[in-house]
Amino acid sequence: MTIKVLGSGCVNCRTLEQRTREALEQMNVQANIEKVQDLDCIVSYGVLRTPGLLVDEKVVWQGGVPTVEKIKELIAAERERTSAA
Amino acid sequence: MKFLILAGVFLLLYFAPVNAPIVTTSLGAGLALLQEYARRHVLSCLVPAFFIAGTIAVFVKKDAVIRLLGPETKKTVAYPVASVSGGILAVCSCTILPLFTGIYKRGAGIGPAVAFLFTGPAINVTAILLTGSVIGWDFAVSRLIAAMIISVIAGLIMAFVFRGRDQKNAANGFATGLQDDVPYSNSAIVIFFILQLAILVLFGISIQPLVKAVFIILAMSGVLAMGFLKFKKEHNLEWISETWSLTKKILPYLFVGIFVAGLIEVAVPESVVTRLVGENTLPANIAASLFGTLMYFATLTEVPIIQKLMALGMGRGPALTLFLTGNSLSLPSILVLLKIMGVKQTGVYILCIVILSASAGLLFGALG
Repeated sequence: MTIKVLGSGCVNCRTLEQRTREALEQMNVQANIEKVQDLDCIVSYGVLRTPGLLVDEKVVWQGGVPTVEKIKELIAAERERTSAA
Repeated sequence: MKFLILAGVFLLLYFAPVNAPIVTTSLGAGLALLQEYARRHVLSCLVPAFFIAGTIAVFVKKDAVIRLLGPETKKTVAYPVASVSGGILAVCSCTILPLFTGIYKRGAGIGPAVAFLFTGPAINVTAILLTGSVIGWDFAVSRLIAAMIISVIAGLIMAFVFRGRDQKNAANGFATGLQDDVPYSNSAIVIFFILQLAILVLFGISIQPLVKAVFIILAMSGVLAMGFLKFKKEHNLEWISETWSLTKKILPYLFVGIFVAGLIEVAVPESVVTRLVGENTLPANIAASLFGTLMYFATLTEVPIIQKLMALGMGRGPALTLFLTGNSLSLPSILVLLKIMGVKQTGVYILCIVILSASAGLLFGALG
């Protein structure tokens, strides 16, 4: 699983990255976390309000910093969706 | 790296002429200005302003606003929306550039994108409210209106100059609304907003203390009542945490800025300020405009710095000019813009902003 954190590098994006790591650790899930800072690239995902969170190239969150619990939910939901398909 | 910093600090402390009068007076002035802000502006202006900014961050239906900046929107709608939406969509400057890139490359195009880029940082609520509280409401209102007008003019110029090059923007991939907007009626949100604004205004006006206290308590209980009765707990919590995270982000920089502004008052000779920007002339306004374009001001720090520059004799016109260019442009943001828009477009944009802001300052100085 690849997770991307989209953001121009301000406090919010760093917090999101840190919380995502925490969430993955708590869930015991292995994943690559990648930070995307290039604005062109961020926008090409359709993310306008940073920070954004991508699970396997799908935007699951944008425009704020979700809690660790919320991130767990988002990741779990995305995993379930892909395994069902 | 860390070692070098430590060594630098050590050398500075070792050799600094700590007892020299210029050092003691400037440190004293820095602290004095900090105290002035702590006593007069923090509780009555900044705290309510941060709550208001938190309200905007949580309760305003952002996706609805962003949709109005999409590729299918008519230009007559996109420009006015872009010129005011900065105050609603972005409270911190790091959210402005991604949104700008989005509007520019996927949304309504270069004109509205530029309008948004300019007003975004210039008209954020906390900045306008602090300007009013510290420097005067005539300044705050002029800053707001001038920024909105300039942004539309600059946007129209950019759209005209680069009319051939504006990419055809695809309708897909714009403003994918993932978070649900809050499920409350617009009127409820507006009342909530106005009640908080009322608290701030009541703190500011001079009426009988008793009447003032009564009204403030009334407005506060109104806010609390709405919070408890009308809104869901999760949104209230989000509102508080948003307010807190904004405060955490902005206040430290602001305090450093206030301290530096205090230093400026002592360290910068009055004659330099009066000579360069003392009179409301075209060169003075251009000078203020260029200075603001290159200089980086963290959110809100422009207020104490301009306050002190005015105390040193800066004219009203150049002061407004500096307000207009100060937050919207800075050397770091210009570097990012060069990457997004290229040299030509960035150049024209900067030229537009420098000239338009200087003209607005000139006009304001001549009227006031």
